[in-house]
Amino acid sequence: MNNKQKIIQAYQQAPWRKQRQIIGIYSAGIVFTALIASIYLNVTARSATLGREIQDMQVMKEEIEKEIEDLETELATLTSARVMEERARDLGFEYINPATSLYLPIPGYPGRQTADLAPPPPTISATSQSLPPEFTMTLFDWAREMIQQISLQTGAN
Amino acid sequence: MKSENSWRYSMMFTAFIGVGLVIAVQLVRLQFSPQASSFIEQAARYAWEPRLVNAPRGQIYDRWGNLLAGNRTVYEVGVELAYVEDPQAIAFTIHGLLGEDYARVLRLASMEASDEAVYNRLSDFTSVDNVEILKNQIDQRREDIRASIPPTGPNLEGLVFRAHLARSFPEGLLAATILGFVGQDEIGYHGIEEYYDELLAGTSQEIWVPRDPNRVEELPEIPPGDSLVLTIDRELQAMVEEILDNSVEEWDAAGGTIVVMDPNTGEIYAMASTPHLNPNEFSNYDAVFPDNAPFNWATSKSYEPGSVFKIFTMAAAIDLGLVTPETPFFDTGEIIVGEIPIRNWDNNAWGPQNMLSCMQHSLNVCLAWVGTQLKAGNFYDYMRRFGFGHITGIDIAGEATGRLKEPGDGDWYPADLGTNTFGQGISVTPVQMLMAISAIANEGHMVTPHIVRSLVDGSNQFNIQPQFAGQPISSETARIMTEMLTETLENKESLALVSGIRVAGKSGTGEISTLDGYSDRTNASFVGWGPVDDPQFIVYVWLEDPTPIWGSLVAAPVFKQVVERLVVSLNLPPDNVRIGLLEDSSE
Repeated sequence: MNNKQKIIQAYQQAPWRKQRQIIGIYSAGIVFTALIASIYLNVTARSATLGREIQDMQVMKEEIEKEIEDLETELATLTSARVMEERARDLGFEYINPATSLYLPIPGYPGRQTADLAPPPPTISATSQSLPPEFTMTLFDWAREMIQQISLQTGAN
Repeated sequence: MKSENSWRYSMMFTAFIGVGLVIAVQLVRLQFSPQASSFIEQAARYAWEPRLVNAPRGQIYDRWGNLLAGNRTVYEVGVELAYVEDPQAIAFTIHGLLGEDYARVLRLASMEASDEAVYNRLSDFTSVDNVEILKNQIDQRREDIRASIPPTGPNLEGLVFRAHLARSFPEGLLAATILGFVGQDEIGYHGIEEYYDELLAGTSQEIWVPRDPNRVEELPEIPPGDSLVLTIDRELQAMVEEILDNSVEEWDAAGGTIVVMDPNTGEIYAMASTPHLNPNEFSNYDAVFPDNAPFNWATSKSYEPGSVFKIFTMAAAIDLGLVTPETPFFDTGEIIVGEIPIRNWDNNAWGPQNMLSCMQHSLNVCLAWVGTQLKAGNFYDYMRRFGFGHITGIDIAGEATGRLKEPGDGDWYPADLGTNTFGQGISVTPVQMLMAISAIANEGHMVTPHIVRSLVDGSNQFNIQPQFAGQPISSETARIMTEMLTETLENKESLALVSGIRVAGKSGTGEISTLDGYSDRTNASFVGWGPVDDPQFIVYVWLEDPTPIWGSLVAAPVFKQVVERLVVSLNLPPDNVRIGLLEDSSE
């Protein structure tokens, strides 16, 4: 046995230690893979759940739009000219006789106004953001902002 | 120890590598195999599904915002062939409940499911109530099976229901001839629905959405069709329709029309005509309008107006300075124009007259003489300027042009000048008459009649401005004509006179022409406007073939009835009150 072999033998690990190392490395690999897989599965499942909820909401939105149309039409049917005239008659109302009517001028009254069906202008400012900056700024933006803040604080001191 | 385990490790390693390699090779092989395109197609077919995103049809409102045409949910009923268990039960139920043909439904429901045959439509535009009945039957049967009791109802497994919107008219018959209707093909027919079909319809889109929720995408925003606000006043429209129906029945007329318009803007307040069809029941169209009969008499049916047309002859002559209301005329009872004798409505000679009394007594001989003074060139030039012979441009589908024969036309004869002066041998539509009359009532300025007041496009409302259609006569002529036609009504104590409000107007009785010449039947009409010092309305009444035949007897009282109710809707006080209020406010 020469010196080289002696040195190798002196520093050689015991077989049982090598085996544990191999098992450890494999186990770490499996645990790491399982960890990645579980994170992936978790994220995918949450994404799928949200996707399904979005699909449900899309369907619900369509149903609500149909319901709105139905209700508007139903309301119009319930307040149609014929129905309202019948109700007025039942309540004892009669047609106005222009000859016996009393006309009173009301200063400033513009008279009955025709339909204005356009929705009022939005009150939300066009520049307002719907998401906080944490969800929109990049890492570089954040870093730049932090540096600016620190430099401002340093300058102030 | 090492030698004992190493072969196991090697075997496992080899097995894993081997299986991996096989999978990799198979993947590569499939990519380049002849079936690759088929597999890709199959994957695409199951990864995406089509979805029709409907753009709801725009709504139609009256001038005050009352809904005249909206939408309601209806269902398409179909079968998913893979799930059908009892086609006969489906056919029997659909036939009994929805009235669909039994043999057709049975054939569609009995088809074998395949890649090509997945779904068949059995019925459409099914009401919510009927779909509820079908759904309840399906649920009840499933409940019975779950409860392990013998199911009693029909086996409707495989039926599916797809909701969509369809046109609905909550007012039913009201304004039906103005609105038109929307067929099952979702295309507008007649009236506003046809004229503004592209604007109202919006643009539905079929889009492909991923089945995989991880690939969910935002659906495109498909805007609904534009909504319209009409110039119509719902209560006024209902009142005018009621008066027209009653008048047609009272005077035993074949039909008729009444139109109310603002002479200053051309806005149509009400437009009624018979017959009318409930647009919710448009399948009755052929029964109500056989042989393509005009849908809306006010715009689509032309006729010979008779003596109301004398207004334009007289207006032309006054405008040219040929006559004044006091110009004398001796009526001998007959005048020859184009070698044809023309006589008065009573075949009598009325002796010494002037232009005012000619209009008051509606003397054909006098007006034919006026026509000869005008000569054909001037007469037809004025009639063109009044808008006769071409459409007015009113925004309702199917407007007729009428017919104004002129010198140079193959079927025009010199005698036509004589008959045209009192409204025979010429055909017009009621809206043409309204437009022409607006020149008299509106200081010589003629307005184009229109029915849509505003267009609502998302968040914007665009109001349509009045359109003027020229000035055929001077303001002075218009004022003279209005005063003449007020005096003529008052002098003969016309049935059209309205208590408290001065109105101008003229009745007409035009003989109805047939293939054998003129018949005893007539078109009875009356046009009037008021208050004469500041006209706010024109009312046109036309009854076809009434008994008695005279416009002054049947159409004039209808005008009066309409105006008496109209002034309330327009908030128009009697003249003395109105003028008093104006004087008070000016002080």
